[in-house]
Amino acid sequence: MFTHLIVGAEFNIGDALFYAALFLILMFGIKVVAWKPVTKMMQDRADKISNDIDTAEQARNKAVDLEKQRQDALANLQEEASKIINKAQQTGDKRRDSIIEEARSDAQSLKEKAQADIEQQKKDALADSKNDVADLSIEIASKIIKKSLNADDQKALIDSYIEGLGNNESN
Amino acid sequence: MDKTRTFQLFGLTFNVGNMISGIVVALIVFGLVFYCSRKIQLKPKGKQNFLEYMIDFTNGIIKSTMPSGSTKDYGLWAFTLFYFILISNLLGLFLHIEVGGVVYVKSPTADPIVAMAFALMSLLIAQYSSVKKLGYKKHFETYMQPISYLLPINLMEELTNFLTLGIRVYGNIFAGELLAGLIAKMAFSGGVGMILVSSPLELAWQGFSVFIGCIQAYVFVTLSCVYVAHKLVVEE
Repeated sequence: MFTHLIVGAEFNIGDALFYAALFLILMFGIKVVAWKPVTKMMQDRADKISNDIDTAEQARNKAVDLEKQRQDALANLQEEASKIINKAQQTGDKRRDSIIEEARSDAQSLKEKAQADIEQQKKDALADSKNDVADLSIEIASKIIKKSLNADDQKALIDSYIEGLGNNESN
Repeated sequence: MDKTRTFQLFGLTFNVGNMISGIVVALIVFGLVFYCSRKIQLKPKGKQNFLEYMIDFTNGIIKSTMPSGSTKDYGLWAFTLFYFILISNLLGLFLHIEVGGVVYVKSPTADPIVAMAFALMSLLIAQYSSVKKLGYKKHFETYMQPISYLLPINLMEELTNFLTLGIRVYGNIFAGELLAGLIAKMAFSGGVGMILVSSPLELAWQGFSVFIGCIQAYVFVTLSCVYVAHKLVVEE
């Protein structure tokens, strides 16, 4: 009906069927060989990219959190360190004071002890010398007495002593 | 018109030239796709990039004309259709085999029956999509929309869609081939001078024909998608 419009064309229905079949076979071949694997790979890639974006976002958030934590910890540490230093300084000061105090008191007591010792030694020496003097004088006296006292004199002495006792009783 | 070699089978007439051309086109398309789809990787390289660009291109046609999500159903069809028609349009420009006055390899789409076959295929796919979506009853009711007496006009619209789709690509490619053939005849009509004059002309016309071939393939696929989309999106 339209053939007169198309110069010298032949309408072979066989060709149309042949092309339809050829097209279907080609479509099937492309589907098996390329379409399925490539579209699957493209889908996989799209999924992977969106996953990667999500993961990157998460990682970024995590990094920000960690950074914050780190900063907080650092601030805490600084505070703690200054506390420790202060405490150590105080302890050191106290210790120094106590050592000085102790040394002073030790020195004081040592001094007192030494003074006491000296006093004691002085006393002892004095006592010793008193005894020595007494002994010496007795010795000297006995020696003098041995030499000069004879029986008469002794008798006279004893008498005078006894007399003296009697006087003392009467007194 | 060139002579053709035909044979009869099952009461149908087959044109050997068209068959050979069609097989050559199919082999070129398949070979290209086959070559590009080897060693598919998540991180595409070279030829895989090219293939993915080809796929994205036809998917882009579908996305711009059809409802969203259609690429899954119609992507392969549009891909095959576009590259088959593209190579069909271009084949005759660089490969024209004539033996004993009978053409064996040329642009298949320069033959109206081939262009019409593709147009009919698009029309059938549009009808099939409509039936699949709406069911037979509602599908045939769409021809009565908006009023029942518009039925002849709606049927006429289907026919004109089919005719314009086929004849547009046929006319463009046939004219291109015809003029290319005429310039070639002119080149060998007399002496070296004619060859010198005709060669740049032929060169320019072939370049223009490549452009026309690409545009026509694009237009064909876009219009096919539009017809299918028209059936998928029912205006109430």
